[in-house]
Amino acid sequence: MSTHKATADRPAPAVARGHRPGTGRRGTRGGRPGKGFALHGRFRHVYISPAVLFVAVLLYLPFLWTAYLSFTSYDGLASPEFTGLDNYRRLLEDEALLTSIRNTLLWVVGTVALPVGGGLLVAVLSYDVRGGGWFRLPFLLPYAMSGAGLGVIWGFILQPDGMANQILTTLGMPGGDTAFLQDGPRNTLAMIVVWTWQQLGVNMLLFVVGLQSIPKGPIEAARIDGASGWSMFRHVTWPLMRPITTVVLGLALVAGLKNFDIVWVMTQGGPGRSSETLAVTMYRDVFVANEYGYGSAVAILLTTITGLASYVYLRRQIGKEDAS
Amino acid sequence: MRERNGGLRAGAVNRTVRRAVLAVLGVVWLFPTYLIVANAVRPADDYDPADSVSPPSSIGLFDNIAQAWEQTAVGGSLLSTLLYSVVSPALAVLLGALAGYAIVVLRLKHGFTWFVVIFAGTVVPFQMLLVPLFVGYSKVALYDDRLGLILIYSAINVPLAALVMRNFFGNVAVSIFEAARLDGASTFRIFWRIYLPLSSAALAAVFILEFTFVWNDLLFGLTLSQSENVRPVWAELSALTTDVYAGTPVPIALAAGLVVSLPTVVLFLATQRLFTRGLTLAQF
Amino acid sequence: MLSSKRLRVTAFTMGALLLAAGCGSGDGGGDKTELKLYNDKGAWKPFFEQMAVLGEQQTGLGMKPVGYTDEPTYTAFIKSSFRTNVKPDLFTWTTGGRLKEIVEQNQVAETTKLWQDAIQSGDLTEELKTYYTVDGKQYCVPLNTAYWGMFYNKKLFAKHDLKPPKTWAELEKLAQTLKSKGQVPFNQTTPTSLFSFAWFEQLLAGSDPDLYDRLSKGEASYTDPGVVKVMERWKSMIDAGYFTKPGDKADPADHFKSGEAAMVINGTWFNTSMTQRGLKQGEDYGFFFIPNVDPSLQKRSLIFESGPLCSLRKAPDPDASMKYLKWWITPAAQEKWANARGDVSGNPKVKVADPELDKVTKEAASNENRLILRYFEAAPAPVLTEALSGFDKFLNEPGSYMDVLKNIQKVNEDYWKSQKGGS
Repeated sequence: MSTHKATADRPAPAVARGHRPGTGRRGTRGGRPGKGFALHGRFRHVYISPAVLFVAVLLYLPFLWTAYLSFTSYDGLASPEFTGLDNYRRLLEDEALLTSIRNTLLWVVGTVALPVGGGLLVAVLSYDVRGGGWFRLPFLLPYAMSGAGLGVIWGFILQPDGMANQILTTLGMPGGDTAFLQDGPRNTLAMIVVWTWQQLGVNMLLFVVGLQSIPKGPIEAARIDGASGWSMFRHVTWPLMRPITTVVLGLALVAGLKNFDIVWVMTQGGPGRSSETLAVTMYRDVFVANEYGYGSAVAILLTTITGLASYVYLRRQIGKEDAS
Repeated sequence: MRERNGGLRAGAVNRTVRRAVLAVLGVVWLFPTYLIVANAVRPADDYDPADSVSPPSSIGLFDNIAQAWEQTAVGGSLLSTLLYSVVSPALAVLLGALAGYAIVVLRLKHGFTWFVVIFAGTVVPFQMLLVPLFVGYSKVALYDDRLGLILIYSAINVPLAALVMRNFFGNVAVSIFEAARLDGASTFRIFWRIYLPLSSAALAAVFILEFTFVWNDLLFGLTLSQSENVRPVWAELSALTTDVYAGTPVPIALAAGLVVSLPTVVLFLATQRLFTRGLTLAQF
Repeated sequence: MLSSKRLRVTAFTMGALLLAAGCGSGDGGGDKTELKLYNDKGAWKPFFEQMAVLGEQQTGLGMKPVGYTDEPTYTAFIKSSFRTNVKPDLFTWTTGGRLKEIVEQNQVAETTKLWQDAIQSGDLTEELKTYYTVDGKQYCVPLNTAYWGMFYNKKLFAKHDLKPPKTWAELEKLAQTLKSKGQVPFNQTTPTSLFSFAWFEQLLAGSDPDLYDRLSKGEASYTDPGVVKVMERWKSMIDAGYFTKPGDKADPADHFKSGEAAMVINGTWFNTSMTQRGLKQGEDYGFFFIPNVDPSLQKRSLIFESGPLCSLRKAPDPDASMKYLKWWITPAAQEKWANARGDVSGNPKVKVADPELDKVTKEAASNENRLILRYFEAAPAPVLTEALSGFDKFLNEPGSYMDVLKNIQKVNEDYWKSQKGGS
C-alpha cells in the first residue's frame, strides 16, 4: 500500500482546503524534528491505537476463524477437516452464486442511486428552507423506527393482491397483478425500494451535516458573481461537499455489498434462491445448511469484493490527500 | 440591482417549488409509517390483513402493549439496551474522532493505510463473527456480560465514526491548529477544546445513527448474552415479531415494536435543532 | 486450529485486561437450584414460565427459559457451546439427523433408563422411542409432540354443507366443491418458505410411506418415479386452483379469523395462533387427520414432529438436569404443558382440558396410524435447505418441478456421499 506515490497527481485543492500546507508530510513546519518542539506532537500513535485495537481484536481476530474455515470441511461440530482449495473450486461451479452476485450488484447500484441520490435531493431541497427540519422528519422516521414492523408492513404492500397492486389498479396503471416479491430480479428491485424508504433519511442527515460545514466564503463569492440555483449547486456547492459525499458513498458501497437484513426479513432469499445476495448466500450455507467451510469461502469472497471496492474508492477519494 | 431583485424573486418561487416537492415526497414516505402506526393502534381483535389501510375504529394500543409486555421481559432489558446504545456509540465516536485527528490533523505517517485498517472493520460480514466471538467471550468470561456487548458494539461502530470524523476534521483550517500549538496548547487540548466542538453536528449525526444501530441490534445481543438483564430489548422482542410458533397477532407485534422504537424517534426529534443552518463553525 | 484458538484467547484476555474488565457470567456449576432452558421457541416464554412455577413446586428446581427465534442462529449457538464452558443445563433440539450428529460427538446425556421406566409406566411410548434412539441408546425426552393435519373453517363447511373427509377421494371432492363455490380450498401453510414442504411430505407419506423413509435415509432418489408422481399430483392441485397465491404475508390464522380461509395444513401447535385470535376449536374451526392418497395402505400415515429436550453429559449439574427431564414427562407436567399452549400431548394418559384436543390426542395414539417423522427433521440439513428453497420455487413456478427435484437430488447425493466417505 503505497501512500507516497500520488503526490504528483494531487488535484487542485478544493476551495475549502486551500489553506492546507501543500507539502511536508511529516508536518514539521513549525519546528524541526529532533529538536524540543514537534508541531504535531510526539505520541501520535496513542491517538489512533485504541481505534485500531478495537477493530483488530473484536472484528479482525474473530474473522480469522472464518478465513481458516474456508479451507476446511466443517459442520460446526467435529473438528474441521482441511480440504485445501476445494471450497473455492466449488464457488466457481455454483450457479446459485451467479444469481447472488447479480443481485448484490443490483443492490450496490440501487443503493447508490436511490437512497443516496434521494437523500442528496431532500437534503439540498430542505436545506435553507424555513421549517426544513419538519420537512425532513418523514424521511427520518422510517430509520428511527427501523425495528418496528418493516417486514410486516412492506409484506402487505408488496404481497400478491397487496396494496401496491390495489393502488396501481385504482390509478388505472398496468401492473395491478404483479407479484413483486415472487420472482427475480424483480423482488430485488422491490426490496431496493423498501431499503430506500428506510435508508434515505440517514443519507439525507449526513448530507445536511455536509452542507452545514461548507464554508460561507466561496458561496457568498459565487453569489456575488451571480451564480444561483443549479449552476451554484453544480459548480460551487457540490465540489465543496466532497468530504461528505465520500462518506455517504463509501458507506453506501459497503452497505449495498453486504446487504442482508432486509432480504432475510422479507424473502429469506427466495422464492427458490432468486433474491439471495452474497451475504444471504453466506448465511444460508453456514447457518442453515451447516456447511461452515463452504459458507466461509462465500464470506471470504464477499469480504474480498467489499474490501477491494471500498479500498479503490477511498484511495481515489482521499488517499491522494493523505499521501501528500 | 435589477438582476439581484430578479434573483430574489426567482429564489422565492424556487423555495415554494422546493417545499411542494418535499411535501409530496414526505406524504409518500409517511404512508408505510402510517400503516405501522394504524395497525399498532388497532385492537388486535379488529385486525384484518385484507383491510389494513382503514384507520382503527378504536384505540387498542395500550391493550396491545400490555399483552406484549406480558409475553416478554422487555422491561428488564430496556435499561441495559440504553446503556449499550449510549456508551458504545459515545466510545466509538471518541475513538473514531481520535483516529481521524491523528490522521488528518497530526498528519500521522502512513495515515491512509491506518485509515484503511480501521475502515475495513465494516467490510467484515458481521454474521461470521458470531460463533468465534461467542467462543472467545465464553473463554474470557465476557459471555452474558454487559461489558462484552459494549465492547463489540463499540468496535463495530468505530469505522463509521473514523470515516466521518476524518473527513470533517479536514475542513477545519490548519492555521487554527498551528496557532494553538505555537501558543503552547497540547495536541490533546486542541482536539478536545477546538476540534470536537467544531464538529458537533457531525458528532451528533454519527452518534444518532450509531445509537439507532445498537438500539435495534438483534444479532449480537441474542448470541452473546442470555440473562434478561443483559440481553438487549430486540433479543427479547423478536420472539413476538419473528417466531412462527408464536402466531402473535400483528397489532401486538407492531405495538411492541412501536413503543420500543420511541427512544430513537425522540432522539431524532430532539437533535433536529443541531441540523439547521449555521450552527457549526467549521467554516473558519 | 489450536494456535488460532490460543491467539483468540490471548487477544481477548488482552482486551479484557486493557479495559479492566471483571465480572464473570456466573455459571459456576455444582449444585444448581435454577436451570437455564435454552430454546428456539422464544415465543413460548410465558408457557415455559408457567412450567417453571410448577416445576419448582414439584422438584425444588427453578428454571429459566432463554429463548431464541432464529433457528439457524440457535443451532449454531448450541453447537458451539459444546466447545466452551458456557453449557446449557437444558436445551431444545430436533430429532433425526441433527440429534444423531450431536450424540455422535459424545455430548448428549443418555436417557435410556428414563425411557425404560417411562414406557413401563405408560408415560412414553415405544413408537416415540424410535425417534430418540441412536445406536440402541436413548437420548433426551420429548419436549412436545405435534401432529400434522388439516385445520378447517367450521362455519364455512357448515355453509356449504361439507364434512371432514374420510378418504382422499372425498378430500378432492371437497376441494372441488369449494372451488366451484368460488372459495379457494387450501391456504399456504406459512408466510415464509419454512414449511413449504408440508404438501410434499403429506402427499408422499400418503402414497408411499416406505419411499418417504428411504428418501430420508439416503436410500432413494428424489427423481424416483414415485417422488415425481407426487410432484405431479401436487402440481395438478395447484393448476386446479386449490391453493391461495404463494407469497401471502399474513398468518393463515388471520384468514381464518376473517372467514376467508377454508383449510390449511399445519401442526397442532397452530392451535396457539388460532386461540390467540380468539377462535375456538369445535366452534370456529376444526381439525382432521388427512386420509391417505393411496387407500390400499394398511395404516393412515400421520405426520408428527417431536422436539427433544436434552441435557449434556457435561452439563453444569448433570443430576439436576436429569431430574428435571424426568419430571418433564410426568403426567402432571405434561398436562400443564399441553393445556398452557392449548396443544395436544404426546402422553396419551394426559387429560387435555379441551375436549376437541383430547379427541385428537387419543386418535393420534391409536394404532391405526403409522407415525411419519416430519420432513423438517427427517431430511439432513443441506438437503432440507435445498428442498425448502426448491419447493418454494415450485409453488411459484409449478412447471419447474423436475428441475427442483434434480437440484435436491444433487445435494442429496453429495450429502450421503460425504457421510459415507467421511465418518
